[in-house]
Amino acid sequence: MKKIGLALLFFLFMSQTVYADFDVQEAINVAKAGEIVHIPAGRYRGNFIVTKPITLQGEEGTELIGESDKPALRIENTTNVSVENITLSGKSKAIVVSNVDGLELRKLQMKDVHTGVHIQRSKNVRIQEINVTGIEDHYSQKGNGLAVFKSEDITIEGNTIEQVQDGIYVEEVKRIVVQRNKVTSSRYGTHFMYTSDAKALFNTYVHNVTGLMIMMTTDILLENNTIANHFDFNGYGMLLYDVTQAKIKHNTIKNNRTGVAMQKSSTIQIETNDFQMNQTALEGTKVSNDTLASSNNFTGNILTARSDQQGFQLKNNFYDDYSGIDLKDNGIGDIPYVAVSSFGQWMVRQPVYQYFVASPSVLLLTSLDQQINRTEKNMLVDHTPKLVMKHVQEKNKMNVVQMLVGLFLALSSLWLWKRGITE
Amino acid sequence: MKKWLMSIFLCCGVLVGCSEKTYEPREIVSETDVCKICNMSIVHNAYAGQIALKNGDYEIFDDIGCLMEYMKANGEDEVGAAYIKDAAKNEWIDVFNAVYVYNKDYWTPMNYGVVAFNSKEAAQEWMTTEGEGRLLAYKDLHDFKWGIHK
Repeated sequence: MKKIGLALLFFLFMSQTVYADFDVQEAINVAKAGEIVHIPAGRYRGNFIVTKPITLQGEEGTELIGESDKPALRIENTTNVSVENITLSGKSKAIVVSNVDGLELRKLQMKDVHTGVHIQRSKNVRIQEINVTGIEDHYSQKGNGLAVFKSEDITIEGNTIEQVQDGIYVEEVKRIVVQRNKVTSSRYGTHFMYTSDAKALFNTYVHNVTGLMIMMTTDILLENNTIANHFDFNGYGMLLYDVTQAKIKHNTIKNNRTGVAMQKSSTIQIETNDFQMNQTALEGTKVSNDTLASSNNFTGNILTARSDQQGFQLKNNFYDDYSGIDLKDNGIGDIPYVAVSSFGQWMVRQPVYQYFVASPSVLLLTSLDQQINRTEKNMLVDHTPKLVMKHVQEKNKMNVVQMLVGLFLALSSLWLWKRGITE
Repeated sequence: MKKWLMSIFLCCGVLVGCSEKTYEPREIVSETDVCKICNMSIVHNAYAGQIALKNGDYEIFDDIGCLMEYMKANGEDEVGAAYIKDAAKNEWIDVFNAVYVYNKDYWTPMNYGVVAFNSKEAAQEWMTTEGEGRLLAYKDLHDFKWGIHK
């Protein structure tokens, strides 16, 4: 009995610490340019480095474990490297890439790492289908999921990231596409800084402090993203700070403390988005006059828009709290929608006022505002508010098969009924 | 009589001296503190700054560049004290007396590349390991061009 117990204990503990015999670094060293290095299933401890154009290919159960505080894998000063189907772990960064032209990272798993992938001074990089799960600690103690610095022509696609500082951190990058990624339980879903020509498409950001943080960035398109449940004290769906030329289109922005906030920004187009159940849907401070929110749907938000004295333009949006009528029957309300709210303006200056947002006194104040502000002509006024969310012209359609089946059933019933009567 | 008057003046002097307000730095609370200027949450404490206003409020900043932007916008009249983290020791030091080093390749939360030290020697020591930089004093920060530099 004692022997069986010892054997069980042996397997229980040794299964966690057995490492494979295959020498990964040696295999990398002897590989010629363009070759594929197959790494068999097993756990390999070390700090591996690639400096030549090769492919590292793992299989189910292949794991590289970084030793001490160094990265598990470094890729440096080379071209055309691929890494796929490998699990990486360790206390520090999983992968660090420096000065690489042509890199593909696919189907990698990273767990309990400080930082997933750190890329600097590289170009033509594609990161696909990577899962990063960070450590359980405060954001200040963690690194980023995928971080790219001073690089060009980057695609980050189809990755799942959770529990890190910033899911995808982008700094000083030219031409980047971030698409179909999912980031949860992190500080910022995606954080752009000093970047130009960027696109964030079809991403899902849920339960972070802020979904999209965009700072000092020029020429960015944010389209078809779902950004939900960022309702912490400092939470935003999107925050644009010192941004020039941004298009925010077709996004679903719901259940955030503030849906979209703009600060010190200019030439922002916000169109055809769904703002649902946010505490404040749109907020602007020091934004340029050419910032326009048009053809959006605002439903279930406590405050539709708030701004400093400058304001931004509202045009052709649908507001569920609009109470006007449409005598001309053109789908546009006959009186302007005024989003100005005294309480909203105060909340811009003192965010702690948010805790009084649905109190009876604030509701009374907002009702008074709606009566008094009818005279407001310019700031946060939509002169052409839509009365319905979408105008869909339904054409008369006929399904011939359905019609014939229906006709057959009707005639059969009639015939049976008649036979029943006559017999 | 003279003695009495002297005593009264002395007491008044002591009371005035005692009532002079001191402005101590407060600890950063990463869960709730965000930069007053750029709204970033403070997760890199080693670069954080703060201003203790004369009315008792504190304004928190993630980078010396944001702190200087606040100074530029609001002036120094209402500032009781201003602190920045010593990059080498991670301790609060006086913004007005700190020694600064700029190198475009030093990373800071806003990537402005300016870090602070409590002495010239500490700054020199930093440069031996992190790369040579340009020494700056507080007055130089007013004209400094904040932003990334090529």
